[in-house]
Amino acid sequence: MSILATKDTHVVIQGGAAGVNAARRMAEFRYMNKQPLNVSAFVYPPDAGKTNEVICGTDTVAIPVYKTVAEATANHPEINTSLVYIGADRAYKGTMEALDDSKIQTVSMITEGVPEKDSKLLGKHARKLGKIFNGPSSIGVISAGECRLGVIGGAFDNLVACKLYRPGSFGVITKSGGLSNEIIWICSQFADGITTAIGIGGDAYPGTDYVSYLEMFEKDPQTKAVVIVGEMGGDLEERAAEWFGAKKRRIKLLAVVSGFCQESLPKGMKFGHAGAKEGLKGEGSARAKSEALKKSGAMVPDTFGALGPAIKATYEELVKSGEVKPIPDLSPAEVPALPKTVEQSMKAGEVLVAPLIKSTISDDRGDEPLYDGYPASELINNGYDIPHIIGLLWDKRLISKHEAEVIKRILILSADHGPCVSGALTTIIAACAGIGLSQAVAAGLIMIGPRFGGAVTDAGNYFKYAIDNKMSVDEFLGYMKKNVGPVPGIGHRVKSLRNPDKRVQELVKYVKSLGIPTPHLDFALEVEKVTAAKKDNLILNVDGTMAAVLVDLGFPVDSLNGFFILARTIGLIGHWADQKRQGSRLIRLFNYLVNYAAPKRREVPPLK
Amino acid sequence: MAKVLEGPGMGLLRKWGLHTPNYLVVSSSEEFDRLAQANDWLQQSKLVAKAHEALGSRFKLGLVKVSLDLAGAKAAVREMLGKKVESITIGQVIVSEMIDHTDEYYASAKSTRDGVEIMVANCGGIEVEENWDKVKRILVDIGEAPTDAALSSLVKEAGFSGDTATKMAEFLKKLFACFDNEDAQYLEVNPVVKNAAGDLVALDAVTLLDGDAKFRHKDWDFHFAAEFGRAYTKNEEDVMSVDSKVKGSVKLIEIPGGTIAMLPAGGGASVYYSDAVVARGGKLANYAEYSGDPPDWAVEVLTEKVCSLPNIKHIIVGGAIANFTDVKKTFGGIINAFRNAKTEGKLDGVKIWVRRGGPNEKEGLAAMRALKDEGFDIEVFDRRTPLTDIVDMALATN
Repeated sequence: MSILATKDTHVVIQGGAAGVNAARRMAEFRYMNKQPLNVSAFVYPPDAGKTNEVICGTDTVAIPVYKTVAEATANHPEINTSLVYIGADRAYKGTMEALDDSKIQTVSMITEGVPEKDSKLLGKHARKLGKIFNGPSSIGVISAGECRLGVIGGAFDNLVACKLYRPGSFGVITKSGGLSNEIIWICSQFADGITTAIGIGGDAYPGTDYVSYLEMFEKDPQTKAVVIVGEMGGDLEERAAEWFGAKKRRIKLLAVVSGFCQESLPKGMKFGHAGAKEGLKGEGSARAKSEALKKSGAMVPDTFGALGPAIKATYEELVKSGEVKPIPDLSPAEVPALPKTVEQSMKAGEVLVAPLIKSTISDDRGDEPLYDGYPASELINNGYDIPHIIGLLWDKRLISKHEAEVIKRILILSADHGPCVSGALTTIIAACAGIGLSQAVAAGLIMIGPRFGGAVTDAGNYFKYAIDNKMSVDEFLGYMKKNVGPVPGIGHRVKSLRNPDKRVQELVKYVKSLGIPTPHLDFALEVEKVTAAKKDNLILNVDGTMAAVLVDLGFPVDSLNGFFILARTIGLIGHWADQKRQGSRLIRLFNYLVNYAAPKRREVPPLK
Repeated sequence: MAKVLEGPGMGLLRKWGLHTPNYLVVSSSEEFDRLAQANDWLQQSKLVAKAHEALGSRFKLGLVKVSLDLAGAKAAVREMLGKKVESITIGQVIVSEMIDHTDEYYASAKSTRDGVEIMVANCGGIEVEENWDKVKRILVDIGEAPTDAALSSLVKEAGFSGDTATKMAEFLKKLFACFDNEDAQYLEVNPVVKNAAGDLVALDAVTLLDGDAKFRHKDWDFHFAAEFGRAYTKNEEDVMSVDSKVKGSVKLIEIPGGTIAMLPAGGGASVYYSDAVVARGGKLANYAEYSGDPPDWAVEVLTEKVCSLPNIKHIIVGGAIANFTDVKKTFGGIINAFRNAKTEGKLDGVKIWVRRGGPNEKEGLAAMRALKDEGFDIEVFDRRTPLTDIVDMALATN
């Protein structure tokens, strides 16, 4: 047996992420008890119509989210309890909605910082309807072996350590959330554990008080004693004392009150709980409360530390009188355990997982990315630049200053080539059609291939083949003519010997000035001499030059197109942004630019 | 509860139709000179000047000057501004019109568990404090308003009659409207006086509002004042500003002269820790608390302030078994601040005591224990050590 939260409690949680987290904690508790989840629904208007996923052991349960409490209770008629996880500015309205629902008997609110007037009105409304409004600022309610409302009880290990999988003999009522857990722990270590523990919240005027629950505990035969953890301010402890002293009670009462330090602290000081404020002229002080409780016949240890031994003494008395029979502890094997996640199992060395992919260039698991082992920030601080990062991520090596300068120049020279080329034109058409940046740029990049910008890798490949096989220019051209066709990297649509490509000239001039060995570039220039002599425009083009230079620098042939793709992406982004800025409208090709060579209009024959 | 100074307090009373004397709050002599030209009443009336700060016994401190003419008021403003009283530098002076009167009354409204208590007496000032039995009261149930009949019989019971009774009933009605609509927790007008025209005027107001209701009062453009007769310190304000930005909470109040620094978790447990220190004869250097799983950086700021407290001998990093505050994460913040404080020499001769439980307690406590290897004087205990035993141990080493 227990009070307030029982086997028959079915819950709707009002609120967003914090509510979902509470549901997950509640699911852990139910899993420990081998019971199904008792959260039936969520109410959270922004997510209405969706579901929240809650892990129950090894299963994931989808719990529906509704717009109103009425919809939730209509669809889940078993609901009788609401947990409020709504912000302080909307908590009043949400709680009223729950209280006014005929199916709901208990509302518990965790929200802190609720205006005092709101919580008083909610308390009054609940009393009028004969319902329970627990909170605000309540950590929740937990009944061992039966039901958990909210996150009270803490992590799974703590639930087990506190033997919350089966009832004991002690009821607990506290204002403080952290201390409720502490008392649950003490009861499980010094006695046989708890029946129900309730956080009433630390506000000045909580919706329910100690007396509300003392009366329920008095009627619960499983509960033999109740522990109250009070604090200075208000008169709830005095009212509890009054109730306890009024007549002979079946339950025993133990209590501690905090706030004695107030006697030696600055007057008017604010403590963590809103309700913990200075009592006027001794009234509401920790001392006055302790005295009142002692007088009523409750056991009141003078410090919190003495509470454990007092609980122990009470428990031993109960065992001696035969009211309580000691419960044997579960053996470790019987103690339920949460299923481990893959990470936990791996960490414990219990499973081996075959990796799905392998990465050798970067690692993001620390506080900053490592590029081939080097922290990004330290590369920056040591003066490294974009070309060095390309070297690390594309070829796994730190390139020299000169190499970096060559790469920088290649990127600058290839960044854009005006709006008319295939890539830019495609991006512009996409931009004019209202397509977003990444898609429009991707459309332009798709144009890069054998006829546009994509000849770098091929050119590098064949120049390298020639050098590796020590071919002469003639042998090479013969090989190409026989096996491949036109030489990639040679030839240009508009440029020629008489109208040279300045980009090529600049790049060649710079690379030559470095005095490094450039066998591939030298070979390519020799090839050009022969081909250009045959036809004016069969010159070494920018693709071919880049390819020869990059192979000379030692970059793998497969990465070469990447330099053009990277460089041209700069231009494509520019073209997209340019069209966007101008507010360009949809364009279509003019009819007169099309040679309509399709058949003339003709009769459609009958379908056979 | 949030205390509001006299100026904004009077403003709220006016908003709900109560008469108050004309008044101005100024923060410089130049400002007062400028306003003096624009407000006729400053030239025509006798004036009162008071330091507009959260200070007790202003009269005794010479921070209330009465029966002034404009020149006198200007002199008073000049004299008071910038004056240092205890930890407070006076930054504002309230200058109000003096109301000639013979009779003084008392009126107040106070939040109780069941609603609002309205109190009234037909004497005021110091007289009412000495004759508290003359105060008559009614309770207005939460969500209700006092009826005219109830107010009228209340003022009669308090000894009012004739026109004054009618006016006092009306005064209480407006006071209640102000209380209810402004989310007040305590409103006290002492004295209420009758001016030459026979109208009731609120001469002085104590105003405590519900700070939690600020979200629905966009016109609360004033700051809340410290409630313990001194201004908040820079450290306290820093922590308050962090508190207002994060989920969960961090709190700090400094207590000069103490040697035991507190850094406990939880609104409830923190008070038990303070109690334990006092019970064992220790002197608290502060009250502090963090709860509700605040981010580690917020706890780090709090820790930094706690480590900076002067002349401390022990730091009590206590806490119950947390429900959902991540012990490893929050301890991470504490450890960062400890390391910095140690480098700065702030932890020389300071012993640290830790006791905690909750999510990821093993990792959190292990990280604290590891500080020993870095040369910290630290003792770490887990949930098996009762809550406040670390305080006993700390004070036993003195």
